[in-house]
Amino acid sequence: MPSDTLVLGFDTSAAHCAAALLCGDRIVAIRAEEMSRGQAERLMPLLQEVLAAGGADWRDLAALGVGIGPGNFTGIRIAVSAARGLALGLGVPAIGVTGFEARAALAPAGHLPAIPAPREQVYVAPPGREPSLIARADAPSPLFDDAAPGDLACAIARIAATRRHSEAPPPAPLYLRPADAAPSRDVPPMLLDG
Amino acid sequence: MQRAGPMPQTLTVLGLESSCDDTAAAVVRQMPGAGAEILASVGHGQAELHGAYGGVVPEIAARAHAEKLDVCVIQALGDAGLDLGGIDAIAVTAGPGLIGGVISGVMCAKGLAAATGLPLIGVNHLAGHALTPRLTDGIAFPYLMLLVSGGHCQYLIADGTQDFTRLGGTIDDAPGEAFDKTARLLGLPQPGGPSVEAEARHGDPARFRFPRPLLDRPDCNLSFSGLKTALLRARDQLVAEQGGLTRADRADLCAGFQQAVVETLAAKTRRALTLYLQQDPPEPVLAVAGGVAANEAIRAGLESVCAEMGARFLAPPLSLCTDNAAMIAYAGLELFRDGVRHGMDLPARPRWPLDDSSPALMGGGRKGAKA
Repeated sequence: MPSDTLVLGFDTSAAHCAAALLCGDRIVAIRAEEMSRGQAERLMPLLQEVLAAGGADWRDLAALGVGIGPGNFTGIRIAVSAARGLALGLGVPAIGVTGFEARAALAPAGHLPAIPAPREQVYVAPPGREPSLIARADAPSPLFDDAAPGDLACAIARIAATRRHSEAPPPAPLYLRPADAAPSRDVPPMLLDG
Repeated sequence: MQRAGPMPQTLTVLGLESSCDDTAAAVVRQMPGAGAEILASVGHGQAELHGAYGGVVPEIAARAHAEKLDVCVIQALGDAGLDLGGIDAIAVTAGPGLIGGVISGVMCAKGLAAATGLPLIGVNHLAGHALTPRLTDGIAFPYLMLLVSGGHCQYLIADGTQDFTRLGGTIDDAPGEAFDKTARLLGLPQPGGPSVEAEARHGDPARFRFPRPLLDRPDCNLSFSGLKTALLRARDQLVAEQGGLTRADRADLCAGFQQAVVETLAAKTRRALTLYLQQDPPEPVLAVAGGVAANEAIRAGLESVCAEMGARFLAPPLSLCTDNAAMIAYAGLELFRDGVRHGMDLPARPRWPLDDSSPALMGGGRKGAKA
């Protein structure tokens, strides 16, 4: 069993399954697979492979880091739900890390971390501003929008490690867009004697 | 699927359910030679989240489940006075249902199972309903089951914990959907089941003669979509003539609609019972499950068919008729005894018929019964 603090970071916020194991300040195992579907089936086996590659067991973990998006709604729920189940079962904290925070750790100087969204849009969170969904063409500065999934998982693990002692609510998906839902179109008739 | 080793004597199973608009967790225990006992059963309904939309919105449901499942588990364990060390297996609804919610439940259960090393058991939501009579009353196989809810309507013969034969079911909408739609068309509150039933109580069921679909066919299949259309036409005709509805019109429409559902279900139940009784079961039982089984008129109709045909009528308490996690924990317990175990690659399935050998009743549409 490794003696340094172990933190497992993972992310399924886009068309990938990615995980990294941080031991002290070293990443000791990474797995990242591109996939447009099947993350719910693949995530847990992939996490087990990362632990095994790092010579660790679930019980060795001090904390979990999970990517909370924004991104694919189903994808972020897959990772967040797994993280909350694991945290409850292990009795360790699960720490939610936004896609902006993870990319900020990776972005070249002068580039704005951006998360690709459908229809030529990106999610951005410029310093001091609320995160939002904008057209790619309206970006205020050069974008960093092609983070490798494995790098994201490493960044998530590192950020979670720095926060593992701070009190925080359980991780929750960061959607930034309301659910698609239209109020019922059925208009009831007038009640004549109502 | 893997096979298990020796069985512990007493089994305690944690169950998770999130396939529609209830987030739920429960703990069920069975001692050797005794009936099963529900140690805890908690649920967070989402009615207020979906109220404005006149029905369950899948994305809204999925969002709520993802942040409530672990909370429900903590509460259920607390109510049962246990921690995860007192649990022998983790059961979770793995389908059929709204896939966003099912995925959250499956992932939370996988996380719990991986962390604790406990066995994971994926349960068919319909099997949860179909095995409930064994949880509540210790009924022996084979029995006839009518699942009748907002998402489902089917007749099943239960021959074993994993052995179900579907005799028939709805080819379009479930009756619960028709009740909800009726409530929306008449300006009554959601969910439509209780509000339409309350209204029907002071209405005249004979004033509007709505269709009893598929009664001319000898099988056990049902259809409720034409009934909704017939109700809409009757309503629109009254509105065209009078400029609106009177309270009496509304009550009569509800009574006529409910009567059509009652008679259709009674007639098809008679056919399903006839087929089931041909098996010569030693103690014939018709059991119902699903929220629609709470309707007193429907229940009375089914009871009288059972009395006429010499079968016992069994309706679990409402809290175990509607979606709940105790039935998932119990089904998981029975499957665990059968040696069923699932791996960490357990899929979440939007469609998962209990009886794979029967032909599909539905097309590939997104609405309607899920199996």
